[in-house]
Amino acid sequence: MINMKDFLKGSGFIQPIWVFVIAITVFFSFMSEYFLSVGNLSNILVQTSTIGLIALGMTYVMINGNIDLSVGAVLGLAASLSVGLQDYGITIAVIAALASGLVLGAINGLIVWKTGVNAFIVTLGAMIGVRGLIFVYTEEQSFYATNFAFSDFGAASIGPFPVLAIIFLVCTLVMHLVLKKTGHGRNTFAVGGNPEAALDAGIRIGRHMMINFIIVGFFAALAGVLLATQMGAATPNLGRDYELWTITAVVLGGTKLTGGYGSITGTLGGVLAIGILRNGMNLMQVPAFYVLVILGAILISVLIIDQRLNVHASKGVSI
Amino acid sequence: MASVEQGKQAIMLNKKYKAGLLNFLSAQGILVFFLICMFAFSLFSEQFLSQSNIMTVVRQASIIGIIAVGVTVVIIGGNLDLSVGSMLSFSTVLVVDLHDKIGPAGAIILMFVLTLLIGAVNGFLIGFMRLNSLIVTLAMLSAIQGLVLIYSGGKNVDIANQSDTWFAFFGRGYVLGIAVPVILFALLAIIVQVVMSYTSYGRRIFAVGGNPAAAVYSGIRKNWCVFSTYLISAFCVACAALVLGSRVMGSQNNVGQGYELLVLAGIILGGTSLLGGAGSVWKTIIGVLILGFIQNGLLLLGYPYYTQWLVTWVIIILAVWLDLANKRKRLFTTHS
Amino acid sequence: MIYKTALATSVMILSAGLAQAEESYRIGITQNNVGVDSYQTTYESAFEAAADKHGNVDVVVLDAGGDVARQIGQVRNLIQQRVDAIIIWPTNGQAVIPAIRQAHKAGIPVVVTNSKIAEAGLDYIAAFSGPDNVQQGASSAEMMCEALDGEGQIVQIAGQPGYTTAMERSKGFEDKLAEACPGVELVETQPADWNREKAQRVMENFLTKYDDIDGVYAGDDNMGVGALNAAKSAGRADEIVFIGATNFAVGYEAIERGEYYGSIYQSPVDDAEAALQTALDVLAGEEVPKMNFFETPKITADNLAEFDKPVF
Repeated sequence: MINMKDFLKGSGFIQPIWVFVIAITVFFSFMSEYFLSVGNLSNILVQTSTIGLIALGMTYVMINGNIDLSVGAVLGLAASLSVGLQDYGITIAVIAALASGLVLGAINGLIVWKTGVNAFIVTLGAMIGVRGLIFVYTEEQSFYATNFAFSDFGAASIGPFPVLAIIFLVCTLVMHLVLKKTGHGRNTFAVGGNPEAALDAGIRIGRHMMINFIIVGFFAALAGVLLATQMGAATPNLGRDYELWTITAVVLGGTKLTGGYGSITGTLGGVLAIGILRNGMNLMQVPAFYVLVILGAILISVLIIDQRLNVHASKGVSI
Repeated sequence: MASVEQGKQAIMLNKKYKAGLLNFLSAQGILVFFLICMFAFSLFSEQFLSQSNIMTVVRQASIIGIIAVGVTVVIIGGNLDLSVGSMLSFSTVLVVDLHDKIGPAGAIILMFVLTLLIGAVNGFLIGFMRLNSLIVTLAMLSAIQGLVLIYSGGKNVDIANQSDTWFAFFGRGYVLGIAVPVILFALLAIIVQVVMSYTSYGRRIFAVGGNPAAAVYSGIRKNWCVFSTYLISAFCVACAALVLGSRVMGSQNNVGQGYELLVLAGIILGGTSLLGGAGSVWKTIIGVLILGFIQNGLLLLGYPYYTQWLVTWVIIILAVWLDLANKRKRLFTTHS
Repeated sequence: MIYKTALATSVMILSAGLAQAEESYRIGITQNNVGVDSYQTTYESAFEAAADKHGNVDVVVLDAGGDVARQIGQVRNLIQQRVDAIIIWPTNGQAVIPAIRQAHKAGIPVVVTNSKIAEAGLDYIAAFSGPDNVQQGASSAEMMCEALDGEGQIVQIAGQPGYTTAMERSKGFEDKLAEACPGVELVETQPADWNREKAQRVMENFLTKYDDIDGVYAGDDNMGVGALNAAKSAGRADEIVFIGATNFAVGYEAIERGEYYGSIYQSPVDDAEAALQTALDVLAGEEVPKMNFFETPKITADNLAEFDKPVF
């Protein structure tokens, strides 16, 4: 017997967040004639790619049972480096920017691994400190890319598809496969689900944690570089609050904060949901103050719906 | 003979006392760290340990401290509250705006009622609906900020006649030479600490945060316990808004922005675990004061703001790490 | 209520855009961060009121919430909607240039309002309209010099680090002070993020640190009044000269009471109306100068009566 809830919960059919994404897409296409235009849809993809890329890495870290609050600051630093170092050539600037993300991710991961301090604290510290690094490096200045090739890349498209959206979707696919098909992916779930058991099973939990922090650091930096190409510039305050929106998107996508459960497809849905809501409300000219309230209300409703479906499906099993 | 016995006893007592002191010191790792920081700053800045500076820092820290007392209870109960920043903006804007419209008494009462109502919404969603507290309070952070802006239309609110309203007492007043914000902070901290340590209510909160399933089997009504922690948190925010509104005699719409993370940083620094079931208000006070004195110390030394951020990075991690290392008697973890 | 009105307006705008594309202009505006302070809020309502007065203007009013990336997205959306002109209140003077360049390439004229963009972007804008923040900083330095008779030591409380307005005011103030008033020494600058309570805290620390402070320059009156509050509680307000910028109602009242030396009068209503007018002039094909500064005079106790009290 197929009932609606089972269908929605759907062992692999369709995740609740995607039902929501489809619902708001239908709603906004009735509300605004611009919404379904190709231009607007690719706008949405480009605009969500920033939070989206970070969310890919964040999904790994959260499935692993950790969290990273420093991603906004890492994004800001990478963006500043990718523009500020262009005197040495764009390639070197971009490599340096991505390297900064890898290094900061490694530092976070190493500290969490070796000291055993909660990731929340380690990355809360880094969130404040890395922002300090940005200001030390930029001396409060914004940077502007004099070479327009840099910003033209951000605006480029292949056929009707913007390059940034393609990069985002390719990364999503790769991260989905890594999580599903590789040993690292499986171990990430195992460590997050039950660290003690993972340890007993001989999984090197510290190493996996560190790799995941490096991954999220890399994606935050990549998002920073791509955001900088979109703007052709970087500002020291770039990326503030992004950590909160990223975590929100990942959790909306069904990943558990307690670790051990989650998926990249869900995260993609969560990211798109937030992007579509923002874009749609913009088109409908909902005043900015109301957008905040509506976003908050919708977040809570999605959480309630998601919980109702989960309770039904996993009755008696406590997580 | 007797004198030898007495001597032995005295030595043993002395040994016991020494061991007790060591245990005490290692249990209070954060406190030791705090004192070392204070000492280091006092070497470089002569004003740092002056009475007026200490009073200034404690007074400045009391707003964050008052909120942190409430959030500590939420965390002990096994949840988080990130909405306190927006809630502080909400309550401050409300009390300042209503002050000139319905008088200070009415403004304060209405502000407390509405703030508790928001706390009740948080508590309902998390306690009874059993939704994830991080995301609910994150959503509330956004929604409440929106409500504040809708209420005020985005405008600053001010109290017109600042010099003669008894409302000034809460933020600017002194009793026996001690600033009222500090007294409020101390009072709230003592009351909550006593409730948490010595009443069955407190024990229930610890039980719910530490082992929810066991707590439910032992007949504790978990829903109500979680619900109540959010009321306590909201009450503390309302008290903080009273101090803030009265101190500034005006408010911007985003006045509380970022407080949620400062409050968390203070609590974590104090050594309360985010996992629930453990922690104390006493630790939180130490954590909040460490943050306050570090900020103040770096400012007195004349470092630019970003240096303060870098130092905060190092100190937050270092403090928690040393505390942890002290407890497990080992600097690094052993797993690979 | 407002939500419904917004829906209704958006529907109206859509149909209006289709029916009378020839006669009426659609102008999109993306603002910096409405609601963060009263100036920006007053600006927004003044802008909407001004647009209402002109019968033939429909406006699309957006707010970037202080986020550069979101503002760039909004510019893209406005280009997508093919508005006739875009007015932008830059969240950052450099980062928005490529987006402005895109609008320019799409043939949509861009008017920059309130705070300037970097020189590299000037080729892509039709005009700038707003106050001259560097000049404002310089004016404040002159007032400070005058008030202290050219001698003393002062502190500065700046706006949020990394934001153009904050940096321009600081720069204007510091350069002018060094040049015109070598006897006045700026001993320390700390940011207070346009926040009164934070300014109060920063000032309390300054008061502990320095036994002798003769003057305070604040990046706006909101922070200036915070500093004044702190000095009053410490009983040291009488010995200190307070000078701000962007005169707020609280600052105006403090000047009235003689507690505050002076500020810069800057009306958000003038600012908003100038921006809309500039955009309309551009659309009408008139010759418009590139930089349009509106007057932002000094305000002190001497000329207070010439100004209306700010509404924010």
